Amino acid sequence: MIFELQVVFGLIALAGALSAALLKDPYAKLIALGILVSGALPFIVDRGYLDVAIVASLIAPISTIFVLMAVRRAET
Amino acid sequence: MIALYVVAAIAVFAAARAILERNTGRRFPYANVLNFAVAGSLVLLLDHPITLIAAAAYFVGSTLEANAIASTYAGGMKR
Amino acid sequence: MLGEILHILAAAIISWILFVTVDIFFGLPEAGGVSGATAIAQDIEAGGGDLSGGTMMGNIVCSPDASAGTLLAACGVYVAGIPGGLAAALMVYIGNRICHDPGYAGTTGAVLATFVVYGFTQVGFAASDFIAGMVIAILTIQGLSHTHASRLLGRLWRIRE
Repeated sequence: MIFELQVVFGLIALAGALSAALLKDPYAKLIALGILVSGALPFIVDRGYLDVAIVASLIAPISTIFVLMAVRRAET
Repeated sequence: MIALYVVAAIAVFAAARAILERNTGRRFPYANVLNFAVAGSLVLLLDHPITLIAAAAYFVGSTLEANAIASTYAGGMKR
Repeated sequence: MLGEILHILAAAIISWILFVTVDIFFGLPEAGGVSGATAIAQDIEAGGGDLSGGTMMGNIVCSPDASAGTLLAACGVYVAGIPGGLAAALMVYIGNRICHDPGYAGTTGAVLATFVVYGFTQVGFAASDFIAGMVIAILTIQGLSHTHASRLLGRLWRIRE
């Protein structure tokens, strides 16, 4: 990959990780986890591991839905 | 080549807006722009037929994720 | 260099007109498809926007509609020509069914966009111009100013009514 694009997508992944750690609102934390995954996925695709990319992009929403169940239980 | 730079610049702009926005409900459209930009950049990075399936799987998966988070957020707002 | 930038801007305008027309024709600003879309619309209205325009933005977030169809059809034409675009339309339909949506807007938008993008590749545009143009078009709707974008969409929706 071109160096500038590596910097851009790496920054997106790092910003997602940092904000997932620092933000207080639970929904904002979950959106930040989505940003983390979308920053990491172009690196997988760029190397040509397309099967890994498909599996990762399908597993990430499923794990988010499991975390949402915990959020709903903590609110009630 | 310019298309890839344009898409990457929009991706980093949308990620910054999504993180810096204060209202939770207004974060979702910014995250949606990020999903569009990343799905486009996946196809532009690697020109192979299976990349289309990867981009579609990523896009549908992230839309489903946003849908689930927004629906739970709506339920939490009502209570 | 300059010609490619002009091509990207022209493609952005074409795909903006295409997906806004298809979305408003299928009545996306009328009602929220799921409860999350309604919640996003209420938050946009609380920030000074328009309710029906905000409902359309919430529907774009919550299920793959004509904008997603246009993007994936451009990607399909970029990797595999017309068969790729039709395969993208099939995947948009599957995604619509997963997200509890009838799927008319997304599938129609994807099939229309396949032929539009293929037609423009015959006259000198590249399909990658349309990918970048679609990302710019969705940025102007969802990413710059929710207040002004939702007011513009609400005004277009009242013209259609």
